[in-house]
Amino acid sequence: MHEMSLVQGLLSQLHGLAREHNKSKVITVRMEIGPLSGVVIDSFQFGFDILSKEAPLTREASLVIESSPATYRCCGCGLEIETEQRPDACPACTETLLIPQGGDDIILRQVEME
Amino acid sequence: MCDSCGCDLTPDHSHDSKVIEVHQSLLAANTAMAEKNRAHIEKMGAVAINMISSPGSGKTTLLEKTIEALGNSLRIGVIEGDIETDRDAERIRAKGVPVIQLTTGGACHLDAAQIHKGLHLLEKEPGGDQLDLLFIENVGNLVCPATFDLGEHHRLVLVSVPEGPDKPAKYPKAFISSQLFIISKTDLLPYFDFPVEEAKAEALQLNPELEVMPLSSTSGEGFEQWLEYLTRVCGK
Repeated sequence: MHEMSLVQGLLSQLHGLAREHNKSKVITVRMEIGPLSGVVIDSFQFGFDILSKEAPLTREASLVIESSPATYRCCGCGLEIETEQRPDACPACTETLLIPQGGDDIILRQVEME
Repeated sequence: MCDSCGCDLTPDHSHDSKVIEVHQSLLAANTAMAEKNRAHIEKMGAVAINMISSPGSGKTTLLEKTIEALGNSLRIGVIEGDIETDRDAERIRAKGVPVIQLTTGGACHLDAAQIHKGLHLLEKEPGGDQLDLLFIENVGNLVCPATFDLGEHHRLVLVSVPEGPDKPAKYPKAFISSQLFIISKTDLLPYFDFPVEEAKAEALQLNPELEVMPLSSTSGEGFEQWLEYLTRVCGK
């Protein structure tokens, strides 16, 4: 459950942003979480639902999570395949050795505050 | 529906609200600290290896045997991570190398801030400020530690024979982010169903650049290859 500590990091970042922009309430938080980030989106949401209730700033905040695709580069023909689900083989040459690139981001994209 | 603009955002949508574009990784603070740790470790003269595995896969035993074999030719230091107790650090201390124990008090992984603290503590140990090789033994967990850069130069994932060969498929992140995959306790291969080639192939499918090394700390099988690897990464 390292999602809990990531949510704690997110909440402290939100408090910093609120101070910086002189706001007192977070309305919406938009995150982008890649399929290779090692983060379980349901656990992240669960952690947010619990921990966000602890401070007035985030008590009513809603969290929107988008999953970003990863790219796999084929070791055989060099084809780059963009997908959220790991492919079994290269669709062009059937090579099974595919090197994942990206898709490991956990990004705070946008916050709406008032 | 919002009365003033007709948009269908949140019910309490207000026009005093401000949308702030952030685009920052949640791991940014950890990554920045990890970069500092890497520079700190390099100043100590060392190459750092982050060891990730399930509990009981033989990380500490591998370290004990490694120190016995290389302790005279390389200056080795160890940072131990566990949820509770300093038992692992005691075992390493008995081998005569500088070691410190970090207890996470419940957290399932080490992070860069803990390693930052650990490096300063290690430097206070006799011989802890000048090293060739620093091992960071992460908390026994194949999931969470994989997400956190600690400032290491190499990452190694271990799976022991009794755990079974399906770990790469089940816990891909640890294998994708590592450079070395050790299959440990190979002296137990006659007693367990662990097709080494199959496990190797599955791991390589996730990460074709992974180096795979089966070994046994008990029988010494495959150990030479491991010691060569360490000497190579230290540039010695």
